[in-house]
Amino acid sequence: MFDIYSAYILTNPISSIAVFITILPITLTITRQAFSDKSLRLLFYYLVAKLIIDLTMLHFASNRTNNLILYNLSIPLFYALLGGMFYFQFTGRAQKIFVLTSIIGVSVFSIWDIFNSNENLSDLNEHRLVLYAKTVEGVLMISLILLYFYEIIKSLEIPNLLTFPFFWVCSGLLLYYSSLIFLAPVLHYVYTWDNQTDLGITEVIPSIFETLCAVLFSVGIYNFSPGSYAK
Amino acid sequence: MQNSEELKWALLIASMAMLAMAFCMIAFVTYYQKKRFEEEKRINDIEKNYNRLLLDTALNSEETERRRIAQDLHDDIGTMLSLTKLSLNQLSKLVANSGDEKEESIMKKSQSLVEETILHVRRITRDLVPTTLERFGLMEAIEEFIHKLEEDNNLVIAFQSNTEEFPRQGQKLELTLYRIMQELVNNAIKHASCTKIDIVLEIDEEMIGLRVTDNGVGFDPEKIKESNLAGLGLLGIESRLAIVNGTVQYEQPAKGGSSAIARIPVNPASGNKPEPLHPFRRERVNI
Repeated sequence: MFDIYSAYILTNPISSIAVFITILPITLTITRQAFSDKSLRLLFYYLVAKLIIDLTMLHFASNRTNNLILYNLSIPLFYALLGGMFYFQFTGRAQKIFVLTSIIGVSVFSIWDIFNSNENLSDLNEHRLVLYAKTVEGVLMISLILLYFYEIIKSLEIPNLLTFPFFWVCSGLLLYYSSLIFLAPVLHYVYTWDNQTDLGITEVIPSIFETLCAVLFSVGIYNFSPGSYAK
Repeated sequence: MQNSEELKWALLIASMAMLAMAFCMIAFVTYYQKKRFEEEKRINDIEKNYNRLLLDTALNSEETERRRIAQDLHDDIGTMLSLTKLSLNQLSKLVANSGDEKEESIMKKSQSLVEETILHVRRITRDLVPTTLERFGLMEAIEEFIHKLEEDNNLVIAFQSNTEEFPRQGQKLELTLYRIMQELVNNAIKHASCTKIDIVLEIDEEMIGLRVTDNGVGFDPEKIKESNLAGLGLLGIESRLAIVNGTVQYEQPAKGGSSAIARIPVNPASGNKPEPLHPFRRERVNI
């Protein structure tokens, strides 16, 4: 069993690193006790959910089993957790309503997209990646991040962004979703059993930035201190 | 195959462009935020300095005005009263010669009233301009102030210092401490219904501390701050302290009453002896 996993990890080192690097921000959240902030608590739930899903997907992938249903189902879950962080960060009512509406919208749209992208949903072996939902999630997440950046510039409440944990979290997410946004719709056609298209290095770009994203999360969480964060 | 290659390159370029934009956005936000914060800080500093200058000017004007009034009282009213006293003395001799007891009694009463008025004018003049402070320093000025207060009120005022000879400080600093002490003691007499006031003056290498404690009804400093009840007196104390980078802290001692502690960084007097703050000289005060 261990051989199967190690063989997969050695064949796909970049995407495997992206899976295991998640342990770093999780550990830091626990050691730095970043739970006291609601947004970072949601980030912790996201990281734990991501690690569980990624490990399950790695297990299926190592055993040459179609794991795309997990990827598809993770889209509304991840968006709800990440969008929820912004719900606690925004102070305006309009922004909060926008976050909540977008979470419901993405959930509904993702479920529709799963049905739309898969004619026979019961056939998990031939299950395909969603066509639009990941892109929509990316666009909305980038919009939330830009809106948040606008808010922090406008409010001028954070003296030094480089020591502000949520800025690092936003930067990580912005880079990850920017790397994925053009690739996401193409993956619907690429991740099939009879795929003839080789995307080469382009395919691993999201994994590289997923790793970078986890590193930036870690930097942010490392900068967290309950006392100074409250100020 | 051709299409696959084209797609691969298109995706790579698009992703790279998007990532470049994301990097630029993060860099821009960081840079712009820093710039705006620096700008905001600069404006705040200018505003703070301007306010301090305004406050300083206002207090200088107040001291100048006090001196002018004291001068007018001494030079004009004081002189007139002295002349009146002299005239009354001469008149008194004439009245004594006439032998009319009623006239003599009225004359004595008039003399006594004029003498009393002269004393009042002297007291007001000294209150307006603390000449002892300028000549002998803070400890002597406080002792004189206490002495006068104890004469007029049924109060016990204790004064102690951690040094025998309090080193002379800058003119502005001494005057600030003196005025704050005056304000705190007056507040205690007016509002606290106290019977005892303790004044402690302490100095170390860096700070001068002035503590005024009374055994009166006391007040909750937090409530006063929250409800914006701070009267002109307390605001005046804070304004004076702001000019000399001082702070004030109000406490409620466990045994009752209230306590105020003002702390000001030490600013020893320069080598030149300051011009005495004398009410009889017509000049502008430079504190």
